[in-house]
Amino acid sequence: MSETSHGIGGLSFDAKKRAWPNEMNVFIALIAIIVIFEILGQVLPYMKGQSLLFDFNTNRDGTILNMVRLKIIILQVSIIGIIAIGSTQVIISGGIDLSPGSIVGLTAMVAMSFAQTALVNGNPNPKAIFGEAWMDLPVIVPIVVAIAVGTFAGLVNGLLVAYTRIPPFIATLGMMVAARGAAKWWSKGQPISFPTEPFGAIGNGMSGWSPVVIFIGLAILFHFILKYTVYGKHTYAIGSNEDAARMSGIKVDRHKVLVYTIAGILAGLSALVLASKNLTAQAGMGVMYELDAIAMTVIGGVSLAGGRGSIVGTVLGALIFGVIISGFTYLRLDAYYQEMVKGVIIVAAVVLDQWRRQRAAARA
Amino acid sequence: MKKTLIAAGFASLMSTTAMAETIGVSMALFDDNFLTVLRNGIQELADGMEGVDVQIEDAQNDVAKQLDQINNFAASGVDAIIVNPVDTSATEAMTKAAADAGVPLVYVNRQPINVDTLPDNQAFVASNEIESGTLETFEVCKMLRAMGKGGGAKAYVMMGELSNQAAVQRTKDVEDILGTDMCNFISVVDQQTANWSRDEAQDLMTNWLSTGEEFDAVIANNDEMAIGAIQAMKAQGLDMAEIVVGGVDATQDALAAMQAGDLDVTVFQNAAGQGGGALDAALRLSRGEDVDQKVYIPFELVTPANVDEYTSKN
Repeated sequence: MSETSHGIGGLSFDAKKRAWPNEMNVFIALIAIIVIFEILGQVLPYMKGQSLLFDFNTNRDGTILNMVRLKIIILQVSIIGIIAIGSTQVIISGGIDLSPGSIVGLTAMVAMSFAQTALVNGNPNPKAIFGEAWMDLPVIVPIVVAIAVGTFAGLVNGLLVAYTRIPPFIATLGMMVAARGAAKWWSKGQPISFPTEPFGAIGNGMSGWSPVVIFIGLAILFHFILKYTVYGKHTYAIGSNEDAARMSGIKVDRHKVLVYTIAGILAGLSALVLASKNLTAQAGMGVMYELDAIAMTVIGGVSLAGGRGSIVGTVLGALIFGVIISGFTYLRLDAYYQEMVKGVIIVAAVVLDQWRRQRAAARA
Repeated sequence: MKKTLIAAGFASLMSTTAMAETIGVSMALFDDNFLTVLRNGIQELADGMEGVDVQIEDAQNDVAKQLDQINNFAASGVDAIIVNPVDTSATEAMTKAAADAGVPLVYVNRQPINVDTLPDNQAFVASNEIESGTLETFEVCKMLRAMGKGGGAKAYVMMGELSNQAAVQRTKDVEDILGTDMCNFISVVDQQTANWSRDEAQDLMTNWLSTGEEFDAVIANNDEMAIGAIQAMKAQGLDMAEIVVGGVDATQDALAAMQAGDLDVTVFQNAAGQGGGALDAALRLSRGEDVDQKVYIPFELVTPANVDEYTSKN
């Protein structure tokens, strides 16, 4: 155990493999996709030589890079990216979490109810959930509420997985359905809008960069936690071999509760940013986010079998998603194609990864 | 909702009194903003009439439950039935149940699949979906002309879910209007889906902005996407007075955006008007009067000029 605990999931590591981390392949794929879009921009006649990332012709803000596009590429995956940080940990621990999208819907509704402003254009708030005493609360209130709702939902997931021993797929499927129901029940399906200005700043502050800052900040935080703390080492150990982990003295059940709770908190934070960025909360928010989050982690090289993967990979996977979305709009191709290509890339990422590992195993 | 239930319960008690006309109403869903306004429209009109009682039931989005409700209404001898169908392709059985019992039936808001083969004592009351996108786009066109852009203008079109009938229809309306002589000065730079969602619309708009293309208008299939586009444009520092933005639905959020000077056009679907129209048709059918089998309640255009009239309607 002590031999391999510094590495990922108890697999044997040789020097060559460490020199060429799996994340590097994801990074190369990201660059390749960008290059394909750049070439198409030059080759397709109707594109008139436009570039995806550079801004040679108009030079709008005095930079050679197209800053607006660079920003949206990462901004549009930041909210799901925050969820994916949680999904990465759950999947590394050998589990799966289908509930974050619904937790986002529920958390957004509940948190927004505590973030409403009393006056809208001088009129009373037409979407008021609670009475006037609950209006214009300090912004810390909805933040605490969001974290509390996320914690609660994640805790329930974790307790179900750890102590009832039902498969995580089923436990979190239950939460997915139940939390979505609760989101609709909260205001009887009505959207909740018109938050206070400080609340709106959570997702719109820093000239609109704040979701990116929150996403990257959390990614860095959990990168270090996974890599350098006992929590991280135990997460990998449980994911690669649960029985071995149990026998080596890791409190597996307690640890699982912690992993799912963290995933719930991250879903709650994601909801906070989403509701704030849009200045509204709706019961249908976050539908299918969990699947996009899982896809990002898988593209980023996280193994669904557990024990393998990293936050860096997931962030790169998220960026691949962002580049594809922006790239298709830039090529003015319809959303149909975008979804088809996304599907192909998800499968291709796993196939390539498996093929590479089989080859590596054959060599060894 | 509690109030309505009490009212409905009260109405059913009253229905045993002589001479009163009783109308049974089966709503697809009580927990829906738009349908609640529609339901209240029926209730309020009935409350204002002498000798008319309505009994409103909630089908809870369950096709089977709705058919049971209709059969129960027919069995208890109501004078007419109003149905807001859960599933528009499951209306054949409802039509047959009411026809067999000889009770007039009115469909409201959602167009039944058998709308063209309804028996004589059945009707359909709704708004004509073709109007919404048409009104919206034509007003955008007029505003662009008024801004002196009649020589050439560019627009982005945001579509709802591509599998949704309203999205397909409203997008076609945009194309039809932009094909007319008066409005063909507007060219569409790009049209993409944002799935009715404010968040996706924000991202899509920012992606469009990243191309650096000049444009004059954003025509969205609904208000949520229009608001998302506005938020993205404001984040990039665009002057919303220079860009015409249109949506559909006249939601509270949209009306607030219009009052703030950001949204320029939206279209109001008169839920209460549809409810009232359905009750009116049901009463006339029960009295054996002639009723048009398709009654269309017009969509209403909302602009900054008349926005204040609509803030209390939805």
